[in-house]
Amino acid sequence: MSNINAAAVDLFIAKAKPVTIQVSTANNLDEAMNFALDLCDKQPLGKLMLDTGAPPDESRKKTFSAPGVDEKLWGYLVDGGSKKGFEMIRGGLRKYLAGIDMSFTVADLGIADTASCVVECQSEDERLAAMICERHVVALSKSKIVSESYEAEPFLKAAMAKERNYTAFISGPSRTADIERVLTLGVHGPLELYLVLLEN
Amino acid sequence: MSDETTMKSYHGSLKEALDDDFLRQTLDKFAVQYKANRQLIFADINEKGLISEIADHKEESLDHLEELYEQFTKEASRKGVIVHRAATAKDACDLVCSIAKENNVKTIIKSKSMTAEEIHINHALEDAGFIVTETDLGEWIIQLRHEGPSHMVMPAIHLSRGQVAKTFTEETKENQSDDISLLVKVARKELRAKFAEADMGISGANFAVAENGSIAICTNEGNGRLTTTLPRVHVAICGIDKLIPTIHDALRVIKVLPRNATAQAITTYVSWITGAVNCEKDGPGAEKKFHIVFLDNGRTQLIKDSKCRQALRCVRCGACANVCPVYRLVGGHRMGYVYIGAIGLILTYFFHGHERARVLAQNCIGCEACKDVCAAGIDLPDLIQEIRVRLNKEFGSTMDSALLGRLLANRKLFHTLLKFAKFAQLPVKKGPYIRHLPEIFGLGQGFRAMPAIASESFRDMWPAIKPQVVPGAKKVGLFAGCAQDFIYPGQLKAAVTVLSKLGVNVEFPEAQSCCGLPVQMMGQRQSAITTAKNNIQAFKESNVDYVLTLCASCASHMKNRYQELLEGENMEADVKAFSDKVIDFSSFLTDVVKVKPETFVQGDEKVGYHYPCHLVRGLGVTEAPKTLLKAAAKYQPAPEEDVCCGFGGTYSVKFPEISGVLLGSKLKNLEESGATCVVTDCPGCFMQLNGGAVKQGGKLKVEHMAEFLARHLAK
Ligand code: SF4
Ligand code: SF4
Repeated sequence: MSNINAAAVDLFIAKAKPVTIQVSTANNLDEAMNFALDLCDKQPLGKLMLDTGAPPDESRKKTFSAPGVDEKLWGYLVDGGSKKGFEMIRGGLRKYLAGIDMSFTVADLGIADTASCVVECQSEDERLAAMICERHVVALSKSKIVSESYEAEPFLKAAMAKERNYTAFISGPSRTADIERVLTLGVHGPLELYLVLLEN
Repeated sequence: MSDETTMKSYHGSLKEALDDDFLRQTLDKFAVQYKANRQLIFADINEKGLISEIADHKEESLDHLEELYEQFTKEASRKGVIVHRAATAKDACDLVCSIAKENNVKTIIKSKSMTAEEIHINHALEDAGFIVTETDLGEWIIQLRHEGPSHMVMPAIHLSRGQVAKTFTEETKENQSDDISLLVKVARKELRAKFAEADMGISGANFAVAENGSIAICTNEGNGRLTTTLPRVHVAICGIDKLIPTIHDALRVIKVLPRNATAQAITTYVSWITGAVNCEKDGPGAEKKFHIVFLDNGRTQLIKDSKCRQALRCVRCGACANVCPVYRLVGGHRMGYVYIGAIGLILTYFFHGHERARVLAQNCIGCEACKDVCAAGIDLPDLIQEIRVRLNKEFGSTMDSALLGRLLANRKLFHTLLKFAKFAQLPVKKGPYIRHLPEIFGLGQGFRAMPAIASESFRDMWPAIKPQVVPGAKKVGLFAGCAQDFIYPGQLKAAVTVLSKLGVNVEFPEAQSCCGLPVQMMGQRQSAITTAKNNIQAFKESNVDYVLTLCASCASHMKNRYQELLEGENMEADVKAFSDKVIDFSSFLTDVVKVKPETFVQGDEKVGYHYPCHLVRGLGVTEAPKTLLKAAAKYQPAPEEDVCCGFGGTYSVKFPEISGVLLGSKLKNLEESGATCVVTDCPGCFMQLNGGAVKQGGKLKVEHMAEFLARHLAK
């Protein structure tokens, strides 16, 4: 517990609200994953974005992706997701450009003063998962929240020193105000962003 | 995209914009909300400190641009990125077209990039047979409508939901409602299909970080992420001015850019891309072809231009348009060619040809609102003036500005002429106003009453009103400025009354002339230098403690511009001594004399205040006038007290249609506040406000601070 910067966590929560990040807390990753699975279950079936010419398939399974998680977490998710009747996707997300109902990601770092989740997305699948889903759940350990972006520099430096790297700050759902300056969510990416802060 | 090259056609185009009710309402609302939101979002960080750091570091990067370019190229190449450099816009377009051909590309998607707009890449690609789709919602809308952006960050701000619905109906061949959330869904669906099939993605880059050969892209929509992820080829087009040494430099700019652009703490997505990341379009394990095209297009030349190179610090936040009173009235299509707002007037000259900038560069009122918010600390109005100087040199100045220049530089001739004009105006004079303006003063001035030249100038009345010397007291030299010397001498006389009452010695060095700002504004640099030298000499001889002026514009010009104007004239010490002594009337009373409220009789008149641009932004004076007002009356706050009244010296003669509307809003705000009198600290603003108030029937009284205070002096 000692390495949690409580002030930074509070600041993150305060700054998340105006950028429509919906914050909750969990004791551990299992709880966060359960949260994502339950949320996906409760949501209506997402609307697919690509026309296949065929009438919309209302009986299709909900899709749930989490390409970035390790074997252990993936096992846990598949277990829970299958019980709920989801199609669980870990790779080949290009086949799902029409849309995915839910994606689950574990963030590497949080920046409090801008409510940013820092996510290193090494694979194309991770990048796509965060973009083509209707709803995105991000888990972030409280101990990984720093107060402001300069403190994220060592992390970014290490990431960008690599041969290939794609790191993102994500600070809310995809948004636009391009028509009459009216804020509208979900123009290209997720319609909703949920953040689960982990005690451990 | 203004491509007007004659004043006449430009005025026509301005009129169209002024008549566009939707545009006017939208931009009005935006201007007011932006200002309030910006203030809130900057509340928890050190705005000015960060901006000056950004400016310093950007300058340093420009000094080392070639080294940064080499370092970037080395790092990026090592990581599988192909780096190109294009000298001209055409070279860049050719390069991108050949990359597309080599890779057998058919369809291309783009995320937002001003640099790509700068080189008109879409035209080049479409001419070469490629199918290009913009994916930023605003950009897509204007692409479908074959229009250019009207704002650097919100390209479709000029369009209504109804217009967008119509455009989408045509594109999708399905009837679309004008519900904004549904329209956004249409874009989501239509564009997702384009993303899925595209072979190549073109993005811009907000930063090119040399230390690791990475680029960073800020977007809200996330289209940048899809553009750089899905297609098998990615081309980033980026001005070489985007090169910065370290991640830290990028993070610093990110603290200001989104705050300044849209009053957001950060854009929803910031993507940091390093190396040719994997891309499975061609199957698992494949790599992306990642090209970066650095565009020069005059930038290395501009770096060598010691005066104007600061324009390259620009981070494209668009704030200089957001706060510009002219932009607010006419929108981006009349306030730039590709780049928009203050920086647009400047970059058009450097990137898109001098001819295109000739007319545009005139449309700045010099209110300094842009300079006040610029994320990179660029002195935008000064650069705009500099460009006018250069345009005058290149194309020759108009007869009237050259004539005025020569006239103001020759003090004796000018004063003689004014005396003559006093009689010449008699047939058109009606009390203190001119009944019908003679043709030479220009047309379109019907929105305000124009003052007549006073029957006795201040310099003529001075010998009779010169107060007695108080031994040992502070000595101020009064700088009259043309407007007060010859049109409103009563304001100066009132100031002399107040100052004498407060025991201050007042001198009037008679060899002084015009401060030089009007000719500077018109691009007559040599005349501006001559008048400046003359004034410094005049005040040096009279050995005063302060150079006090009742004109905010004179004060700010003499305090802030003389030093630079007279660089190389071998008189640094004299200029500095002079500029340091310059002070405005209100600040002198509160900060130097430290007047007590008892000096004035407190009345119950409801009085509003108009901040002259050159007082509030030029000199940073915010509190002094209010302190004085409150000592003598009931101060009545009004919205937008610090927004320009539309005077701008010769601007109001050149662009009466804009000046008149600005004046109208100003008076409306004041009247609605319940004030019966408005006070200001500048004879120019006074002339504008009073001219408008008289025209409207004179319900609102307008007063210069000096006259207002003289009227309330305790016995
Ligand atoms: S000085 Fe004022 S009018 Fe001129 S560009 Fe800047 S904001 Fe606009
Ligand atoms: S000139 Fe300054 S305010 Fe204008 S876009 Fe550039 S950085 Fe922003």
